[in-house]
Amino acid sequence: MSLLEVNDVHTFIGQFHILEGVSLDVPEGNIVALLGRNGAGKTTTLKTILGLTPPRSGSVRFADADITGMRSFDIANLGVGYVPEHRAIFSDLSVGENLRIAERSKGDLARKEELIFGLFPDLKRLIRLPGTNLSGGQQQMLAVARALVPDNRLLLIDEPSEGLAPVIIEQMMDAIRQLSSHLTVLLVEQNFIVASRLADHYTIVEEGRSVQTGAMSDLVDDHETVRRYLGAG
Amino acid sequence: MTATTATGDSRAARRSEWLRENRARVTVLAVLLFLFLAAMAGIDAGDWFSTIMQGLSVGAITFLVASGLSLIFGLMDVLNLAHGELFMLGAYVGWTVYTRFDTVVDVLVPLLTVAAPFAVLPVWQRLAARIGQVRWRRPIRWGLLIAGAGAVFAGVTKFPLVIWSPDDFTRSPANLSVQIGLGTLTPLPADSFGWPAAVAILAVLAGGAALAFGFSMFRNQTADQAPLRRSHVLGLAGMIAAAIVLYMVKSPLNDWVFGLSTTWRFFLALVISVAVGAVVGALIEVVLIRPLYDRPIYQLMITLGVGFIIVEIVRDVWGRPSFTMARPAAFDGTGAGCPGQGIGGFFSGCSTVDLFGTRLRVYNEGFVIVVGIIVLVGVTTLLKRTRIGMVIRAGVQDPEMVQALGINVRRVFTTVFAMGSALAALGGVLAAPSIGLNPGMGATFLLSAIVALAVGGLTSFPGAAAGAVLVGLLQQIIIRYGQSGINLPFMSEPFKPSATLVPAAAILLMVVILLVLPTGLFGRGER
Repeated sequence: MSLLEVNDVHTFIGQFHILEGVSLDVPEGNIVALLGRNGAGKTTTLKTILGLTPPRSGSVRFADADITGMRSFDIANLGVGYVPEHRAIFSDLSVGENLRIAERSKGDLARKEELIFGLFPDLKRLIRLPGTNLSGGQQQMLAVARALVPDNRLLLIDEPSEGLAPVIIEQMMDAIRQLSSHLTVLLVEQNFIVASRLADHYTIVEEGRSVQTGAMSDLVDDHETVRRYLGAG
Repeated sequence: MTATTATGDSRAARRSEWLRENRARVTVLAVLLFLFLAAMAGIDAGDWFSTIMQGLSVGAITFLVASGLSLIFGLMDVLNLAHGELFMLGAYVGWTVYTRFDTVVDVLVPLLTVAAPFAVLPVWQRLAARIGQVRWRRPIRWGLLIAGAGAVFAGVTKFPLVIWSPDDFTRSPANLSVQIGLGTLTPLPADSFGWPAAVAILAVLAGGAALAFGFSMFRNQTADQAPLRRSHVLGLAGMIAAAIVLYMVKSPLNDWVFGLSTTWRFFLALVISVAVGAVVGALIEVVLIRPLYDRPIYQLMITLGVGFIIVEIVRDVWGRPSFTMARPAAFDGTGAGCPGQGIGGFFSGCSTVDLFGTRLRVYNEGFVIVVGIIVLVGVTTLLKRTRIGMVIRAGVQDPEMVQALGINVRRVFTTVFAMGSALAALGGVLAAPSIGLNPGMGATFLLSAIVALAVGGLTSFPGAAAGAVLVGLLQQIIIRYGQSGINLPFMSEPFKPSATLVPAAAILLMVVILLVLPTGLFGRGER
């Protein structure tokens, strides 16, 4: 069953036609990777799903409800967590406040503490530190942890491995894999190795259009497609 | 053992790193301190102290304007050029509540009647949605708005209204202020309706309904429709009931308020002014600023325009001449036992107090500064300790991410705009008894506040406070030298800065500080 269905969305930013027909399907409980080159429209696809850049046409359905054109905070409150590119940690807030601000009802953080600090034990130690003083890896952990505080059903994760050391990437991948046991994840990932090891399904976006979709296990052996659309492999 | 030395070393390293990063900042502060002490060298200790206190007093008022400006600019990137005028409006509304409470009651009745239909906005939105996309939707909308405005105007002018008159001396604001100071002020005899009361009320009510309907036809997103709740209907009923009750109890209410001591009436003026500031601020944000978040230049222009409009309204209603506001009784005592002595003298009820060899005014150099400090501490606590404060701090940096966490950022924007306007209005009421009222006061303090913001580092709240105090001190020192003259090395006679140098000096301070520290004293670089 699909938790998220995106159907032929077209998105404009100002007068620029960024998405020219993206469709994708995220089955509940799976990790789906959104692949494509730089500037293909992956990040805009995530923002369109969340209503930050609302689509001009097409539809987005989440948990069997039409969420096209809804205000982004209403969409988020339906249970969509967002881990943006460059993490967007609030630098004026402490690590603890960065987590608390994501609470949708009082006590969310207390209930999720075990899960969060189980995945990222480092954060517990840093809880009083200001957001600015974190390393890139710690920021990424905090960004994911922030999306885990409320009861989300879907996580939109943008480039979790970007600019991280290989050791940290491994840790990040472990965390995302553990999460997928009770969460659905839509993942944007430049690093094909990371994406191929995490995701069950994939959708390739090229120049604002979704061009190919399928099971990740098929793509791994399809060197031709990987070279053509992702320039690697 | 090794562990402690390691942390000690790293602490020393961190300190030297901090010094290196903040070298310019520390130098500027040292130079400012030196100039400040040098400026004070020629003055005796008592004068020195009173100049400082006057500077702090002006700084406190500037801070109240600058704090709202800084919060609004930090969170929404809107430089609210109407902020000075909101400050001024606060002063004039405060004066009116304080001096002519009967007018406030008279104005509240039609105002509540106009506002009542807006309480059931969901009804109008649903009606507007039902009309749908017909071809003459636009003419209907504008027809409703114009007819509504006409009906409201026609009806409101027929309501009874006792008011001062700038042209008639016995009823001029200046004379009323004198009367309240002497304790001889009484309510003016009540006026009566120009039309039959029911007709006037129905006209205003219908006009309000037409306006509400017209406005709700502007937005036709079904997603935005709030469901009609019982609270909406209660709001409508409550406002109409409040209007009726106010009208019925008008004269006993007036007699009661006019019988209160001026201290209580001043407190009432503070409360009502702050409320009016918050409401006007929220209205400006929702109606004028919100549709323009994609067009910052338009926002700048519209706040500038709103400022001009408020100035003209003030000139029209309260008159062009400046006038004073009598000090509340608690700060206006004279006679036996006055002036008060020492710190305790501030609580003696005298208008002045002798402290450290100089005479200070209890209101200006005591009360105003204390309120400034209370607001500084209060807002800082709000920002640091509460959830809304946390959301504001996060929103200053990244409103989109706050939105993505499921928080209605637009509502936070409105709240902050209302809060900033309320702070400006509070500043206005506070300033009125100390500097008086005139239609130019908004522009003066807006300029000071913008300088304070630039000096302190645009979006930093403590920066706004520090900048405001610096500007206040500088202005008072210049004024002091305007009286006593300053001995400059190349001049035979002491140099006396003229009054026009006061605002110029503030700008000069800003220029010099920005040359050395482009992001201000507390500002951070652009991320």
